[in-house]
Amino acid sequence: MTLSASVNKKSSPRVAVLLGSAVGLAFNGLLASSAAAEQSRGYVVSWFAHATYSQEGDCSEGVHPALEEVYFKYLKAFGEDPQKIEDIRQNFLEGRRDDRLAPMMMERGRVDGKPTNPFTNPASAADLKLPGLDGEFAYGFDLDDREDDQASGFKDPETYEVGVDHELYRALGCARAFRGTLDVSPTYWSWAWGQLASSQPAWLITVTGEDLTRDGPVTVTFDRALEHIRVNDDSSPRADMAYRIDPDPRSHNEYQGEIKEGVVTVSDQGDFRALQNPLVAPELALRNFHLRLDVSQDESIRGIMGGYQPWQDLYWGFGNLGIGGEQQVIGDAVQLYHLMKRYADADPDPVTGQNMSISAAYYIEAVPAFVGNPSASSGTFDAARN
Amino acid sequence: MDQSLFMKNNQRKFGHAWHVALIVCAASVSLSGQSTEALGEEQVAQVQTVTHRLTPSQYRNIITDVFGADIDLGGRFEPDLREDGLLAVGSSVVSVTATGMEQYDAMSRAIADTVVDKAHRELLIPCAPKSVTEADDSCAESFFTEAGFLLYRRPLTDAQLEAYVGAARTGAELTADFYEGLSLSLAGMLSSPAFLFREQRAEPDPDSAGNYRLDSYSKAAQLSFFLWNAGPDAALLEAAANGDLHTEEGLTRQVDRMLTSPRLEAGLRAFFNDNFRFDAFEDLAKDSILFPKFSPVVAEQAREQTIRTVLDVVLTRRADYREVFTTKRTFLTPDLGSIYRVPVYKNGPNGSPDQWQSYEFSETDPYQGILTQISFTALHSPAGRSSPTIRGKALREIMMCQEVPAPPGDVDFTLFEGGGDLRNATARKRLAVHSSEPMCAGCHKITDPIGLALENFDGSGEYRTTDNGADIDPGGELNGSKFSDVGEFAQIVYQDTVTTSCLVDRLSSYALGRSPIPSDKEWVNNLDESFEQSGFRVTDLMRQIAVSDALYRLPRADLNTASASVK
Repeated sequence: MTLSASVNKKSSPRVAVLLGSAVGLAFNGLLASSAAAEQSRGYVVSWFAHATYSQEGDCSEGVHPALEEVYFKYLKAFGEDPQKIEDIRQNFLEGRRDDRLAPMMMERGRVDGKPTNPFTNPASAADLKLPGLDGEFAYGFDLDDREDDQASGFKDPETYEVGVDHELYRALGCARAFRGTLDVSPTYWSWAWGQLASSQPAWLITVTGEDLTRDGPVTVTFDRALEHIRVNDDSSPRADMAYRIDPDPRSHNEYQGEIKEGVVTVSDQGDFRALQNPLVAPELALRNFHLRLDVSQDESIRGIMGGYQPWQDLYWGFGNLGIGGEQQVIGDAVQLYHLMKRYADADPDPVTGQNMSISAAYYIEAVPAFVGNPSASSGTFDAARN
Repeated sequence: MDQSLFMKNNQRKFGHAWHVALIVCAASVSLSGQSTEALGEEQVAQVQTVTHRLTPSQYRNIITDVFGADIDLGGRFEPDLREDGLLAVGSSVVSVTATGMEQYDAMSRAIADTVVDKAHRELLIPCAPKSVTEADDSCAESFFTEAGFLLYRRPLTDAQLEAYVGAARTGAELTADFYEGLSLSLAGMLSSPAFLFREQRAEPDPDSAGNYRLDSYSKAAQLSFFLWNAGPDAALLEAAANGDLHTEEGLTRQVDRMLTSPRLEAGLRAFFNDNFRFDAFEDLAKDSILFPKFSPVVAEQAREQTIRTVLDVVLTRRADYREVFTTKRTFLTPDLGSIYRVPVYKNGPNGSPDQWQSYEFSETDPYQGILTQISFTALHSPAGRSSPTIRGKALREIMMCQEVPAPPGDVDFTLFEGGGDLRNATARKRLAVHSSEPMCAGCHKITDPIGLALENFDGSGEYRTTDNGADIDPGGELNGSKFSDVGEFAQIVYQDTVTTSCLVDRLSSYALGRSPIPSDKEWVNNLDESFEQSGFRVTDLMRQIAVSDALYRLPRADLNTASASVK
């Protein structure tokens, strides 16, 4: 049935995934009668971006300069003749062609004094000590649950929770391509989601509980679909499309949690892993996963997910874009490396002591979808719209 | 004007192509002289023949049949005209405008150029010229004899053949290219009335003194366009040529052959597309803010969904026609599934075109039958909302063959759109004002109650339970039978004999290419009865129409001075 029966009575969508086609369906049907008290809502992620809350004055040392000015800082660091730097700047400002700058920037790393590709070897390029964000607010979670960092942590602008750990935002929040809000997404993440949405299988969410209209325990799953997300002619996400779960366990995530006043949170804080397009990063991995998902709306849901993320994964997404992507999308990639390295706050390397993960939070939106097991045929599903 | 002088003047102006084109035009036999050429003047006055302009799909089908599916038409068609509910009837009252003729000319040249190009000539031209730089009458004659037979749906007369061969010769001499000459002459053939119009030729009926019937080739065309929406194939033309088609046994043999052919599907598609007025899809658009799931692709898929649903009932399963109003079986794509809010998974690789899948709505789904499909609910709604009035009118006119008058010119819409309490009211509440206005009540009482049955489907066909925040009440009454929801409504439509009589009326009109006239009354009534006896099987009805003398008998003008529905 389209509407009322779209809230499927079932036990565990994962069970069906593991059991496969015929057996899975039969087993699912069996469970439907024995565990008839559960509802399962399905969604497809329709937007994914770094959760940013850029405000006037949150970069007390100023937003990072334009890319060309950052480049001139490198020239200065190289000890280039100030007059030459000024000549290049003037040519740039007046729109005259000057072929000297780009070749130098493509090899602005230095190893034993020799020019080196900075994108594949970011540590070789100078750390220009660009500032991090020092505003009061950031979306996210108090990941470490430490009382003693509450003063230095952020405050979440929606929940007003203090001690929020979101050092990725501190690291990137003053870079031009990473400034934005939930409504006006940062340039980089608008580009990145465009790449991800059109090139990779969709991400699916299911929320299962006894009665999702009331407070109580829930099970939340995140999976990758076999199908790509579908959109309407105006590029808005298309609701009520049908997706099957990719049985590949590398993108399966399942958490216990609760729903309270329409907001789902998870309590077991395990790991989150989802394969994604390597152009952005080959995998989205978050340790100590936290989630806050408002499922009270019928048509579209939104939320924040966070955890500790290997920052080098992110860098390789930035660096892979090379000088073209640097100039067109993200700004100076190498300084992003230095910033994330500087502000990384978890998982210290046992030898160097360098933190290898950074606290992060991402904003997601999702629309109702039919979610079925890998062998589901049209007409059958495990989770759907409210 | 003296034609030769005209040609001489224009040859200087426009060059060889015009020269050949004018020769071809001169060669084209005038239409008016053909349809009754075998009859005397007195007889002509007594016979009513009908001439139809080929519909776009018929034009395409003939070109595909004769020259192959890869021929690009390279032009567009003039809009058709609907008369008595059918374009097939309207095609008998349309002519060709100057702009339309330009388009036909552009298409004929594009088709002819493709037929003779190097990629096609070996396959499509049955001979090779002695020299490609010179005329070859023998080869041209061979080509035009074959192609002309299929394009004109009858053998070319000697004069026609001579003219086309002559035009090809002139063209080849002027251009020093045999194929160019052939192409110019073929373009002329494709622009001629004998191709563009389906003409009926009369002959005295030997079995009914003083009456007339279609000649055998006209009969073949009548049959072929009815069952296949295309020109006659070689076997049918042969049956026309050897007189078989004028015998009961021969006609039955051809009808049964055609009814078991896969091409019957094309004929049924053409009829139901016409009968359901699906040409309106070309102008259908929805407010993308209100109905973001709707798109031109969805519109096209919605049309196809309904055609597939109907074909499943009437052709694949040969089931009771009335099931089209109640069936849960249909065909969907993932995009349509999202509007119906049922799971339809993509069944091909990501990025590949969506494939059609058979689908059966569950018993608790509100969707059943074609009236609940997007092709009805969305097609008969304005861009931004539903409309019980428009839907009710469509149901009356399309499915019941009843005419609903247009609103008066001075209708006061503020009564309906209103303000205050009505601004956020359901459609039922807003439409209730019609009952208090005598100017409106007469018509709205026959449209609104049945349109309200479909109010659970919004302007894009998506299910809803509320309108403007208030619960929707889909209850109502149809021809004295009350219903409380769309399921009961569908059952009432299923049981109402008006819908089956309407189909008989439309299908017989479609076959005849005109509305039934008083002398057809007995025939149509018989069709109605036997349709019921057959269990409302559409292919049985088609067979009965196709083997009827009435389909090929030409009405006497003095007995049928005006067309009038027999219903």
